[in-house]
Amino acid sequence: MSSDSVLQNHHQHREGITTLSHDWTMVKAGTLVEKQTLVTIDAETTVEDACEVLLRGGITSAPVYDSAKQVYVGMFDYGDLMTYILLLLKKMEVPLQDQTMEMRDLIQRTNKSQTVPVKLASDLSGKDPFCTVLPETRLGAVVHDFGTGIHRVAVMDAEGTMKGILSQSSTLDYLMRHLSEYPQLQPIMQKSLQQCGLTNGRVLSVNGEEKVLDALISMSTHSVSSLAVLDDQGMLLGNISMTDIKHIMKNLRTSWLWISCFQLVCKIRLSHGVESGEDQYPILDVNSKSTFGYTLSKLQATKAHRMWVVNDSGCAVGVVSLTDVFRVLSGLIDS
Amino acid sequence: MGSDLDRQIETLLECKIITEAEVKELCLKAREILVEESNVQRVDAPVTVCGDIHGQFHDLKKLFEVGGECPKTNYLFMGDFVDRGHHSVETFLLLLALKVRYPDRITLIRGNHESRQITKVYGFYDECFQKFGSANVWRYCCEIFDYLSLSAIIDDRIFCVHGGLSPSINTIDQIRTIDRMQEVPHNGAMCDLLWSDPDPDACTGWGLSPRGAGFLFGESVAKPFLHNNGLELIARAHQLVMEGYKLMFDDTVVTVWSAPNYCYRCGNVAAILEIDSNLTKNYTIFTDSDRNSTNSRMNPQREGPPDYFL
Repeated sequence: MSSDSVLQNHHQHREGITTLSHDWTMVKAGTLVEKQTLVTIDAETTVEDACEVLLRGGITSAPVYDSAKQVYVGMFDYGDLMTYILLLLKKMEVPLQDQTMEMRDLIQRTNKSQTVPVKLASDLSGKDPFCTVLPETRLGAVVHDFGTGIHRVAVMDAEGTMKGILSQSSTLDYLMRHLSEYPQLQPIMQKSLQQCGLTNGRVLSVNGEEKVLDALISMSTHSVSSLAVLDDQGMLLGNISMTDIKHIMKNLRTSWLWISCFQLVCKIRLSHGVESGEDQYPILDVNSKSTFGYTLSKLQATKAHRMWVVNDSGCAVGVVSLTDVFRVLSGLIDS
Repeated sequence: MGSDLDRQIETLLECKIITEAEVKELCLKAREILVEESNVQRVDAPVTVCGDIHGQFHDLKKLFEVGGECPKTNYLFMGDFVDRGHHSVETFLLLLALKVRYPDRITLIRGNHESRQITKVYGFYDECFQKFGSANVWRYCCEIFDYLSLSAIIDDRIFCVHGGLSPSINTIDQIRTIDRMQEVPHNGAMCDLLWSDPDPDACTGWGLSPRGAGFLFGESVAKPFLHNNGLELIARAHQLVMEGYKLMFDDTVVTVWSAPNYCYRCGNVAAILEIDSNLTKNYTIFTDSDRNSTNSRMNPQREGPPDYFL
């Protein structure tokens, strides 16, 4: 980049701050990923090694870069990994006409038990396609995307240089940290979950005794990223989410796919507690009478991607996911 | 009755379990003692304050070697006796038996793991089932958990609680009004006391906890609490400390952790806080017992590490 364009960008950046500082929808996507260390995966890396990259980086997704073609070919995330595992185990039937060429190639390879390069597995789940925005794109537009179920966008400049990944989680964290600067967000924070229309959701669940593999198939079938794990009385025991797949990948040989969902919840809690030195409550939930603001604070504090909504008896009556949060926030912009 | 109890203590000291009928009897006796105790149990110095044990039986024995045998040394255990370790059953029953035998020499307060919901996830339920063939012993123990005090106060100057403070509690007297004899609630004052953590970064005073229960509290909350209640120190446990103990907020809050080499792999040391009759504080560090490495081979009830233990 020439020094002129750098100066121009910098000038624009400063202009943005002085004239539009109190409107959260005008914040530029680029500013939110400024200090990020980007992790990318080479397209030829095996799926197993790509998973290692996610695990070690403590991230849930990474862009896949084809160094031969000098271009980004997609994102690899745990949803794709889950689809890969299901294909590998021949548990998923995809009709021939729905298969893209790459998926066909992938399936052929799994049939021959060859190792699979991650370029064939990226964007495999069909959800969360590789979505890019410019550094100048305003948060209002990004939040609209988040509200439709896109979990993250890649911030890429006009030259194709990757600046960083902007996720639903990091955007929520930014908004909560700067809440006092955006008084227009105050009214919605005080509203109850019911007033925001967030307590009428169906709770997709699995019984604690069901096998993990069946839960994964259910998640894939319903196109959701998590399921509530319930006991026989419908009480919440915990949840299984797509990011838990990373534990399964680590242990593919010890067949965690065939343990019960409750057992997986326990193993993950045990592991998390030792690694962080502090045990977490097994269930991350809010009461149905809680405010929107409290729910967001808890999502931010626990770094969870969803809060189960429970009634006074502890039964799950709904769920507030990050997608739901951004749908509500993007609704503010339209009105 | 007295000789039965002594015999049971001898058995437990060898890391052997007593019968289910004996557990039931022991719990009945313990309940009679615990029901009389206050939510803020008064304890006289000298006393040795201990943090999480988490079923690490042989390390508890090491703790007694280092700190002195009960009842020669007075003890206050700040909860989390069970879950994760291989011997939650023997650990808790030994401490309970000592409490029944020497009620004025040992104080047990409740940790966040002394809960039905938590012990089903973190190992104690599974261990009870494996060792006794049913959930009965687990149920008897969970009923006892409901009777444990929420906190203790040493000579009106040192406040001891498993987790930390609560935005609903400004005075020690307020803790006394809590109805404690129930399963640990998911929120509210009783939950906060067992789940909260001190946090130097909690600039505005209080923050939601990343644990999903309890709060983070800063120096701006801890110091006024101490001042308003005439206290000089808050002793608590609940968080793994590699060095065994950690002082914070100008030495007004201390975390004491008493499970060395936590989960048999963290490589941390453990600590106990010895308080003499002048309230002079002395921290003693200890490492894990040598017996842990041979223990699983000697135990015929299990092949390999138990499922609940990662």
